[in-house]
Amino acid sequence: MTAAALDQVKASRRLPVMPRRGTVSWFEIALLVAALVLVAVELPQNLRDVIVLTFLFGGLALAWNIAGGYAGLISFGHAAFFGIGAYTSTILFVRAELTPWIGLWIGALLCAAAGALLAIICARLRGPFFILSTLACAEVVRIGALNWASLTGGPEGLSILPVPGLASMVFASKTTYAALMLAYLVICYAVTKLLEASRYGYYLFAVRDDEEAAAAAGVNPLLARTGAMALSAALTGIGGSLFAQYFLYLDPTYVISPDLSFQLALLPAVGGLGTAIGPVMGSLLITPLSELLRSYLGHAAAGLHLVIYSAALIVVMLYFPAGLAGALNRIAARWTRAP
Amino acid sequence: MTSLLEVRHLGRAFDALWAVRDVSFTVETGELLGLIGPNGAGKSTLYNLIAGALKPTRGDIVFDGQRVTGARAYHMARAGIARTFQIPKPYRQLSVVENVMLSAFRHEPSPARARSLAQATLTDVGLGDYAAAPIATLTVGLLKRLEVARALALRPKLVLFDEIMAGLTPTEVGVMTRLVAELPARGITVIWVEHVLHAIMKTASRIMVLNRGEVIADGAPAAIARDPAVVKAYLGEEMHLA
Repeated sequence: MTAAALDQVKASRRLPVMPRRGTVSWFEIALLVAALVLVAVELPQNLRDVIVLTFLFGGLALAWNIAGGYAGLISFGHAAFFGIGAYTSTILFVRAELTPWIGLWIGALLCAAAGALLAIICARLRGPFFILSTLACAEVVRIGALNWASLTGGPEGLSILPVPGLASMVFASKTTYAALMLAYLVICYAVTKLLEASRYGYYLFAVRDDEEAAAAAGVNPLLARTGAMALSAALTGIGGSLFAQYFLYLDPTYVISPDLSFQLALLPAVGGLGTAIGPVMGSLLITPLSELLRSYLGHAAAGLHLVIYSAALIVVMLYFPAGLAGALNRIAARWTRAP
Repeated sequence: MTSLLEVRHLGRAFDALWAVRDVSFTVETGELLGLIGPNGAGKSTLYNLIAGALKPTRGDIVFDGQRVTGARAYHMARAGIARTFQIPKPYRQLSVVENVMLSAFRHEPSPARARSLAQATLTDVGLGDYAAAPIATLTVGLLKRLEVARALALRPKLVLFDEIMAGLTPTEVGVMTRLVAELPARGITVIWVEHVLHAIMKTASRIMVLNRGEVIADGAPAAIARDPAVVKAYLGEEMHLA
């Protein structure tokens, strides 16, 4: 390595703006303050919707990123976990009157088990074969939910009565939902930050980058992957429960759709895989864009949001291979370097 | 006292081809065993068997008093067997020091202490200045040294070196040879595969020669260099013994 390259390495190390593993940066604090302000200020109803969904999908993207970004388990089937979480808390609430505050944890546990099972079933699969298997597993869950009508309501779906109350986790004000989703986002973010600074987080990086080398360092690759998928699935399931409490209606064609799975994978890919800030930025960019377009264009442009996702993904892959977070990192490096 | 490593009638077939045919040997604690042999002799397969990356077709491996035949690679690493890879296998998205931290975690669960142990190991192999460097900026020689650092940071009882001198300058070969030679005194037993024969002949306390999946010679370096079977096995290859 030349002296110039060494200088470059040193320069790229001092980035006071962008978050680094194991520390909290001013950038992260500023984002949190901005989010809190967005929750607190008065806004038109449709913008409120956008904010609620941006926070929710930020959390979901972080959850996906634990498996996809950190452990290298690219999943196109996370909608299954979203659906299992949403259906578990909703069925327990509608049929057994169990408060969703408890139901969401039961859903999370079920999702963790399902995630672990998926990782074990697909233990020997890599790359496109793994991705296709996750897609197939999610389809099995979707078709199961459609056909087990006595439990899930089948294609007619399940509704939660819109009676506000703390125990029912239904709120009259969208401000409360915004706060709830922000709390979810912050929890997913905190879990990610703790993970990436821990020994277990490093095990995931190692298994992602070179499984054989990781095993030679004493890391059990299957255990690392299984744990990552279980954690990712559990957090995704909690997001599903929260979505159910917000939308108050569930049907398999939306909550377990491949569409949703792609969206969950796309947000962190656009924002920056394997970073904590990446999925948040992916949701900040994509969710408002697609929601606003959907509400302004309506049914005239059904499926347009998919076109936008694809376009965003192509642009990011071509020009920002490390995602938005990576691009901002480069800009920050240029700014902080001595003039 | 029992040997640190005992390999009994070990064999591994790939379909009809026996890469390792019938290999038996023992390694005592504190030995520095050089393992040589022409290309295709079965050295890499033997390493993969001892490190748990491959399961033997027949035979037994006893390490540190425990029968470990067929145990998985991560079990072998935890039992105290470290290895390097002939073609370096770094974690590409991690920095140099983080690569070594992953081995240091075996004995230091705290990331901060694992990092300082990793840093110390990097200094040992002469990579101290490269701790923060991304993997993509490293030359082959530096990657080989990173392999050595990762193996040593595991604090193993036995380390399997696989051609760690390839791509090094003569000065670097000297530094690395001294480092390897000191390991037995630090309680680390070494098996060492190398094509740079003069380094291994000078340093090893014992040399074992593998050919066509079998041990054809095993003894002191000076005796090995005169062994007619060894000379014959290397016929057609460049050989600079002693």
